[in-house]
Amino acid sequence: MIEAQGLTKVFRDKKRGEIRAVDNVSFRCQPGQIYGLLGANGAGKTTTLRMLATILQPSFGTAKVAGQDIVSEPDKVRQSVGFLSTATALYGRLTAKEMVEYFGRLFGMDEAALQKRIEEVFQRLDMNEFRDRRCDKLSTGQKQKVSIARTLVHDPQVMIFDEPTLGLDVMTARVIVQFIRECRQRGKTVIFSSHVMSEVEKLCDQIGIIHNGKLLTEGTLAELKQRHSLDDLEDIFVKLVGDGK
Amino acid sequence: MNTRQIGVVFRKELMDTLRDRRTLINSIVVPLIVTPVLMLGFIGAAIYIARAAIRANPEVMILGAEHAPRLVESLGLSDRIKIVPAAEDYIQRINEKKLRAAVEFPRGFEENLKAHPDRSQIVKIYWFEEEFRSREMVREVQRQITEFSTRVVTERLSARGLSDQWVKPFTTKRANVAPPERVSGNILGFIAPYFLIILCLTGAIYPAMDLTAGEKERGTMETILASPVHRVELVLGKFLLVMLVSMVTTAMAVGMFALSALAAGRMFGQFDPELVLTVSAKAAAAVFFLILPLAVFFSAGLMAISVMARNYREAQTYLGPLMFVVILPAMASFIPGVELNTRLALVPILNISLVSKEVFAGNYPWGIIGLIFGSTLAYAVAALFLAVRQFRREDVLFRT
Repeated sequence: MIEAQGLTKVFRDKKRGEIRAVDNVSFRCQPGQIYGLLGANGAGKTTTLRMLATILQPSFGTAKVAGQDIVSEPDKVRQSVGFLSTATALYGRLTAKEMVEYFGRLFGMDEAALQKRIEEVFQRLDMNEFRDRRCDKLSTGQKQKVSIARTLVHDPQVMIFDEPTLGLDVMTARVIVQFIRECRQRGKTVIFSSHVMSEVEKLCDQIGIIHNGKLLTEGTLAELKQRHSLDDLEDIFVKLVGDGK
Repeated sequence: MNTRQIGVVFRKELMDTLRDRRTLINSIVVPLIVTPVLMLGFIGAAIYIARAAIRANPEVMILGAEHAPRLVESLGLSDRIKIVPAAEDYIQRINEKKLRAAVEFPRGFEENLKAHPDRSQIVKIYWFEEEFRSREMVREVQRQITEFSTRVVTERLSARGLSDQWVKPFTTKRANVAPPERVSGNILGFIAPYFLIILCLTGAIYPAMDLTAGEKERGTMETILASPVHRVELVLGKFLLVMLVSMVTTAMAVGMFALSALAAGRMFGQFDPELVLTVSAKAAAAVFFLILPLAVFFSAGLMAISVMARNYREAQTYLGPLMFVVILPAMASFIPGVELNTRLALVPILNISLVSKEVFAGNYPWGIIGLIFGSTLAYAVAALFLAVRQFRREDVLFRT
């Protein structure tokens, strides 16, 4: 479960002055559902998700992630969150297994439990063939699997995906999309950001459209279509963003 | 803050760094090779070039040779002097450095020595002032002339039935009481502190950049920040690794320095028997102990700076000018006669340079050593606080 309440992030820029990257955003994602945050580049998706993952601190407002407050209990939040984005790269000089081990240890897992969990995850993601190969020698698809294993090692209840398919080829993107679906099946709370309409349409149970840091609308695809009297997500998006200006 | 987390980060960074060829070469291999090469090469080349230069083509022109046949004959006996026939263009040739010097005897020089012993005469030596080979030649010519002059005095005295003691009532004699390692310590004390400080810095630079700006460049910063590790734990784990590399580099440098000094003594001792280069284990240990807080200072300071950079190249442009800031105070040991006092003991880097020089020379001013250790430690802690603060700033970690 994720409940964002008035999340706001203000950056100070020397040239442009004060920027509200995220402005009073509130929403709710339920376990077993995928919440899609749809927006253009620079709309505030990444900043919102980084705040939920406690990488950034909100300027105002807060959120509850898996029942814990991101401002007052960031440590507990991290224990229950798996965070994956195209920006979360791997340590190239570590092997696939070492990479996952490192994060397992940082999550405070004891060695026996960690090794058991690694066997399980590597088996499930079919990674044993390249487990001892260095990450910078892996193919893009294999790297994505290592990243997935890394986010899964502590078995989080909440998964946060920030444009996870950005710049990936079709086959590799499918690995990720498949994995996101699997998370839903396992009853995890999933939040997912993208600027690709079709991806959001296919995957998400709830959709929020964000522009200039503001959440313009949210609901199921059907609700959005009805509310804005349009039959196509892209048309809805263009209409809302156009109005926003 | 959890020490277990710091340990996890440190072990991972250690493994990562041991596999990083760039850091290994720059922090370990280069100093290992550079120290002895610089040391032996520098001393060796200096001695060789100097000797070769002195011996090559030692031409001296004698003007008025016919007025001083005996003296010219003894000058000609010296293997360091090659007499060339008199010519008009001697000044030009000295200026062109083809001729080392010219000696001009006055008319009737040796006859006057006999016939008019009370008449004062001047032998003129033309040279290229402060030109190294010219100076060496003039020194040799003057040595020969002084010897001849002594001979003349002895002859005059014996003609009157007097001994040399008549004009030379006593002599002085110098005796070295300093142990040989302190004599060599004085020589090493000039250059060693500089190299050690620079190597301590060099050792820290690459891991400091790799673990901060390098992490941003490779996109792993966001990955690690999403993990439960606290930023303080992260920065401390990284810092410990950077400091370890810096210390390993410095320790190897101290070791290589001692070995090179020994080898230099062996290799070049035959040219200059007074050149004994040894470093006592006590001095090496004391200097290393003093460098420890400096390694902390450098490691933390470099991390605090390079974490602001978005990538490796940007970090290099930040740290480039810093080298000069460190090099200048590190060179304090080159300046002779700078006395270490309590005020200078508080100047970072410079204090280590000066006190290491003392220690190499066998002086252990414990009060000042304590003060320097303490003040450097204080700077180190301040740098570490700065590094931790930098890692807590979102605008530093996520600079775009």
